[in-house]
Parts: sequence; C-alpha cells; structure tokens
Amino acid sequence: MLYREAGQFKSTYAADQQIFPILQDRIGIALLLAAAFGVVPLVSNEYWLSAIFTPLLIFSLAALGLNILTGYAGQISLGTAAFMAVGAFMAYNFVLRLPWLGLLPSLVLAGICAAAVGIVFGLPSLRIKGFYLAVATLACQFFVLWAIQRIGWFTNYSPTGVITAQNVEILGYEFDSPASKYLLTLAIVVVMALLAKNLMRSETGRAFMAVRDMDVAASVIGIPMMKTKLLAFAISSFYCGVAGALYAYTYLGTVEPEAFTLDLSFRILFMIIIGGVGSILGSFLGAAFITLLPIFLNRLYGLISHALQVDISHAIVSNVELMIFGGLIIFFLIVEPHGLARLWQIAKEKLRLWPFPH
Amino acid sequence: MSRDARIGETLLSVEKVSLAFGGVKALQEVSFDVREHEVRAIIGPNGAGKSSMLNVINGVYHPQHGTIRLRANGAWKEFSDMDPHEAAAMGIARTFQNIALFRGMTVLDNVMTGRNLKMRSNFLEQAIWVGRARREELDHRRAVEEIIDFMEIQHIRKTPVGRLPYGLQKRVELARALAAEPRLLLLDEPMAGMNLEEKQDMCRFVLDVNDHYGTTIVLIEHDMGVVMDISDRVVVLDYGRKIGDGTPDDIRGNQAVIDAYLGVAH
Amino acid sequence: MAVSFFFEVLIGGLLAGVMYSLVALGFVLIYKASGVFNFAQGAMVFFAALTFVSLLEKGVNFWIALAITLAVMVVLGVAIERIVLRPLVNQPPITLFMATIGLTFVVEGLSQLVWGSQPHGLDLGIQDVPMQWLLDTANINISQFDLFASGIAAVLVAALALFFQYTRVGRALRAVADDHQAALAVGIPLKHIWAIVWAVAGFVALVAGLMWGSRNGVQYSLTFIALKALPVLILGGFESIPGAIVGGLIVGASEKLAEVYVGPMVGGGVESWFAYVIALLFLLVRPQGLFGEKIIDRV
Repeated sequence: MLYREAGQFKSTYAADQQIFPILQDRIGIALLLAAAFGVVPLVSNEYWLSAIFTPLLIFSLAALGLNILTGYAGQISLGTAAFMAVGAFMAYNFVLRLPWLGLLPSLVLAGICAAAVGIVFGLPSLRIKGFYLAVATLACQFFVLWAIQRIGWFTNYSPTGVITAQNVEILGYEFDSPASKYLLTLAIVVVMALLAKNLMRSETGRAFMAVRDMDVAASVIGIPMMKTKLLAFAISSFYCGVAGALYAYTYLGTVEPEAFTLDLSFRILFMIIIGGVGSILGSFLGAAFITLLPIFLNRLYGLISHALQVDISHAIVSNVELMIFGGLIIFFLIVEPHGLARLWQIAKEKLRLWPFPH
Repeated sequence: MSRDARIGETLLSVEKVSLAFGGVKALQEVSFDVREHEVRAIIGPNGAGKSSMLNVINGVYHPQHGTIRLRANGAWKEFSDMDPHEAAAMGIARTFQNIALFRGMTVLDNVMTGRNLKMRSNFLEQAIWVGRARREELDHRRAVEEIIDFMEIQHIRKTPVGRLPYGLQKRVELARALAAEPRLLLLDEPMAGMNLEEKQDMCRFVLDVNDHYGTTIVLIEHDMGVVMDISDRVVVLDYGRKIGDGTPDDIRGNQAVIDAYLGVAH
Repeated sequence: MAVSFFFEVLIGGLLAGVMYSLVALGFVLIYKASGVFNFAQGAMVFFAALTFVSLLEKGVNFWIALAITLAVMVVLGVAIERIVLRPLVNQPPITLFMATIGLTFVVEGLSQLVWGSQPHGLDLGIQDVPMQWLLDTANINISQFDLFASGIAAVLVAALALFFQYTRVGRALRAVADDHQAALAVGIPLKHIWAIVWAVAGFVALVAGLMWGSRNGVQYSLTFIALKALPVLILGGFESIPGAIVGGLIVGASEKLAEVYVGPMVGGGVESWFAYVIALLFLLVRPQGLFGEKIIDRV
C-alpha cells in the first residue's frame, strides 16, 4: 500500500537509470541521510559516536572497496588490511612532510598510493584465478605489513613503531570532537559511496561484472582483460586506502601496523559475504552487522548473566562470538549467498504487495 | 532487391588454415572466402572442426599454418595470431554454442556490454556521472533499446539472464553480438536445442539481421532445412578438411558431401 | 665453516618443511576427494592437538587419549561434511572456500570454549636437541625432533600412498576425485566416501597437531599453520600427495635459507612473507603448480 510504484512512469532513459527510481526509496534515503547528518550527532553520546558509528562508516568504506574488487570484479582478495595500512601510513607521511597539502588532498594522495600498490599486487590476477589469487593477495598482505614495519621512513623512524596520528584539521578548522570526526567520516563515506554507485552502474561496472561472470567471453566481446582487472584493483585499493587513513585519523588516533593484520582482512571479507557481494548497500549492511553484533551479544550476555545470576567469563563470551561469526558465515552461504542485501530486496518485494498476500 | 544483388565483394578470406591440438588435427589446410552481406553456412559432422574454424576467425585459437584476411577500410588486414579483443575491435562479433552470457547481469546490461568498444569515457567521468559519461550512457542505451525491440526481448530487459529459458538466452546473446554493430557475425549453432517454433523465430531474426543491418553472417548449423533455406553459400567440413563449397543446390547434389554427412540427397 | 653451516640451515629447513607438508597433506586429501579447499584444516590441527593435550593433562593414558582424540576428530570431520558441505554441494568453489573460512572460526571458538585458551606444552618424549654424533663428526646441528617428525611424515605418506593405490576404498576415493557423477554411476557411495575422507583428514590433522604442538606448544597460533600450508600446496599442486611433500620441502628450505642469508640485509622477518612470494612467482610461471594438471579454458 505504501510502497506501490503505481503512477511512477519513466519517460526518459535518464529517469530509468536513476539510482533510486522509486519515489518512496528517494524519500527513504533522504530521511536516512538527514537522520545520519542531523539527528545522530545530536542525540548520541560520545561512546556511540566514536566507538560505533565512526568505525561502522569506516568499515563500510573498506567493505565497499573490497566489494568492488571481489563482489563486482570477481577477484578474491585477502589483502584488504594491507591496502588500508598503505593508506594510513602514506596519509601520515603526507601530512607530516607536506603539511601545506591539507588533510583532504593528503587522503586522496594516500588513496592513490594504495591504488598503486593495488595495481602491483593485482598483476598476478592476469594469470591466476580463484583461490590461487587469494594466496597471491596473502603475499601482498604479509609483505606490505613487513615492509611498513622494516622501512623506517614509513613510521618516521619511530622507535616503538606506533605513531600518533596528527590532528584532523581542514582549512584551519579542527575536528577534535567525536561528533565532528563522525560527521567528517560520514561526509567522505557518502560521497565515495555515490561515486562507487555511479561507477558500478556504468560501463566500468559492467566490464567488472563481465570479467567476474565469464572472462573469456568478456575478452571476446572486446573488454580488455588487463586494463579491467587492474582498474578493479586500483579503485578497490583506493577505497581501502582512504578507509585505512580514516581508520587511523578519525577512529584509532594512532597509526600502527598491528591495526592492519590478516584478521582485519578476514573481517572485511565476512562483511561483504554477510552483507551481500556485488552490492553497494550490502557493504553497509555487512559492516553494520559485524560491528553491531558484538555489542548486541555483550548486552545479551549481560542480560543472561543478570537473569541467571551467573557470571559468564569474558573468554567464554569471545569464543562464543567467534563461533557465531563463523556460524553466520556458513549460514548465509547456505541459505542466502547474496547476503543481507538480497534479504532486503526480498523484504521490499513483499512490501510492495503489502497488505495483500500476492 | 533480390538477395543475390546485395552480395558484395569478398570480406573475409581464410587461406590454408591448419590447426592442431597436440596430436589432434582440428583443421587441415582449409580455405574459403566470405562475401560481404552474404549468409555463409559451415556444415559437417560432429568433430569436423566447425567451431574451431569460428574460433580461429575471431582469434580464440591461433592456427599453426595459414592466414585469415579481413577487408577493412578498403585495405586487407592479414592476421593469424590476433587475439579476440582485436577481432572484436575489427568488427567481428559472435555467439557461442554453450551460451556465454554474463549470468549475474540483467538482459539490458548484457546487451550494453556489447557496446563497450564504442564507449569513450573513462572511469573518473563515469564516477562523477556528468558530461560525456552521462551522454554516452544514454545514447548507447537508446541504441541498445532499438536492438532489444528488434529481437523482441523488451519484456525481459530487467531480468537477470540466469533466470531465462534457453531460447530467450540465445536471443539475448544474439542481441549482445548485434549491439557491437559488427561487420561480420559468427553464429555457432544458433538454433541448437530449440523446438520448431523457436527455430523459425531465430531464422527470422537471422535473416532480418542480414536484411536490415546488412551484416555478413557465418553460421554453423546442423539443421539442413535451415541451412538450405537461409544460406547463400555453404562450406562443408569433414575431419578438418573442406569437402564442399558452393551454393546450397551445389552441396545438395555433391556426392562426397552426401556420403560424409547428408546421408540421403536433400 | 660456511659449508657445514649451509647444510645445517638447508637440512633444518627441509625438516621444517616436512612439518608443513604434514598439514598440507590434510588439505590435499580433502581437495582430492571433494574438490573443497578446506581452510579449516588449520583449526582442525589445533583442535586435535588441544583435545589430546587436555586429555593428557587430565591424567588420561597416552594411547587412550590418542584413541579418544582420533575418534573425536573423525566425528568432527563427518559432522563438518554433513552440516556444512552437503548443503553447499553445488556451489562454486569460492563459496565453499569461504564456508571453510567460517568453519575455521567455529572450530577455533569451539576448541577454546571446551578446553580453555591457555597455551599448553606437549611432550612426546623426543627432545628438540641436536643429534649428538652428527654434531661431533660433521659439526652440523640437526634436531632429533625434526628427524623424528620427518620419519613420521614419511610413514604417513607411504601409508596414504599405499592406501590410495592398493585398497578398494582408496580406488573409490580416486574415482570420486576424478568425477563425482561417474563414480555415482558405477555405484560408489559418495557420502560414505566423503565421510571416510574427512575422517582420514582428521587423523592427519591429529598427527600434524601432535608434531606441531610438541614443537611450538599448543596454542591459538597453531591455527595459522594452515596459512603456511597454502604456498606448499601451490608449489606441490592441490591434488598431489607427493606434491605436498615436495612443496613442503621447497618452502621450508627456501624460507630458512632466505631468513639466514637474505634476512640480515633487510632487517629480518623475511620468513613471514618469503614463502608466499615464492608461491606467487611460481604461479605466474606455472599456474597449476608443480604436479597439478593444466587448466584449459573452453569457451
């Protein structure tokens, strides 16, 4: 009843190609953005802003990057964290050594550096496929992390290897409160998500999906294999690089190699599996799910332990969490391989019919 | 205009092509030509090398001996180790025996990929979605919609191709090949697995393509009725060798062809 | 002297490589029979080692503990096959691979939930000390333990090879590995076969777990041995048992040699990535590994 498309005819191709062709969707997204920009910073406390919403946005961006590479272009990658690390460390170095650049240009340049690394480690994809490629990206993950730790230039020869990120300052305005950092991150993520959506529904996105679905056929119809695969690695790494820089600057406050281990790469991979591969929305849903799940579980344990008057140890909690993560991955792969994004689509389809059964 | 009148000069010339996989000789010194605007059929028993021949023409396989020559812009381009991407750029498009559509994409997107060689905007322009990228996308969408109308697949344009029945998938594949506006269209068993009605539709489409767009067509086909009806000239292969070359009437009466393939006079 | 030192490093590396092979064998078994790359093998190794050592610490007799652990591993393997893999049987390999990644986390969590997360030491009775006579005569320092591990690995590989080649079940396994449909057509009970394979893989995981646990202690990081097995599999091919051994030897030796000879030049820590880079370079030249079959893409 509410979600009917009746009366919404498209008379131009431009109208048909819109990101949100249905009016109700447009209203929905407008409300969501208004809430995200306007309401959330006002009503949330500092903990929620700095420990939940900001990392949620950052992980969404990284998941978006990985989704471009693995979900759209079909090139599996276990090196996401390494690309994030490159972004973080290069942003640090740009801000340190070229302070006149400003933070935003430094972020962009850091992303470009990550893209360059992505291209280098994407070269094997021209010959290797599937999980052989996954192993190649593992090489990237381990090597990049090792290089960052060994080559002093990256950490400005810091003796501990842990550097404090500089203050986030743009055009003289300092972003030092959790709310301001959240808003900055939100703005960057929204813009980049829009760019990604545009990209994935134009020729580049189609070329990626063609390579994913049947690369020999793609080549036969004229899609250049090398250029397409390397572009996928480049764009994906750019997104991960910016996400990594944001991770250091607006969330952690430090720039350290330990923040970018293989564990993080797996986490982001889980986000896109659960959220939905090949879907921009899925990246956000998956990131939200994985970020919010531990919090939800903790609250749940709190309730159970309070109700049963039993003290549940932290170790048990974290192990159960591990099992639930793993179990959910398996569950989603069996039941809905296209993840939460598909479940959302199905829900919308049902909503179109509501309140009628069919 | 009668069909003979519109057939032009030689467009493609296959000269003494030999192809072997290890010890298996797929093609042995096969030579034939294809004239512009004609419908050329390649027939023969299974394993005769027909698909291999198509694969050689569009660069998927590289022959050990022989050359392919294509007339482009008045001059002859000679190649024997071109890759499929280059073939596509030279105006050769094809469909496959086992459908090679992109299953994760909709019909519209699949046909749009056929336009990829005509798209000029780069990824930055596409990300920002202004100016050239936007105009291009809409222009090509318009061209693709015309092809979709032509192939009568409007009603399924937003359906993911993985969900379509076999006959419709074949049609989509043909649409994708047409989207490239090819000069030479290679069809690998376009009617395979179809019932009578579907075959008639597909025949109609193939002839329409030839009439309407003037595309030169080379097709592999097993249904002799189809071959005799729609092709201008026929090449017959057997065990990798050419054993017949001429109009359908010539082939019909050719004893070697009858012995090897037709069985009885058609 | 430099030469004897070189041999020491080389042989040490080869022997360390054998340890990798032990883990890789489990992967090969499962991949051979079901085409699944079981990322969870590392977690299975950890689980086996942890179960065994926890039983020992509770005072259970060595051999009984071994038997119990073996039984547990078999049950685990069969459960995995039934609950995780059966529903995913027609999915593309990448989906199965990701499912096994999820499985890794489940098994890890389960192991620590049941047995706790403190590291344990495991003593098999063989010390990690140099072979004395070798040290005395040739000045080469090679650990007794490493030799013992290689011996075990050799026996295991021989047993597996014989099993596959000469027994009826082994033949059935090879048939299944080649073509599921054809195997079904000749009446081979696919599900039983898979259960057997996972049970054998569980057994191999147990052996690997004992060896590694004994060497490095039984702790959480054991799970990530699986990651080291990947370059081994790339070099040796995913379907070849001898390949797993050869791959392991190459990885082990080159890693150690690189660490000792290249490491000082670049600040050490080369071991963390060297094997992967070797595997990567290898893949560029020969994407199917040393023993694998060439992949031909048909259109």
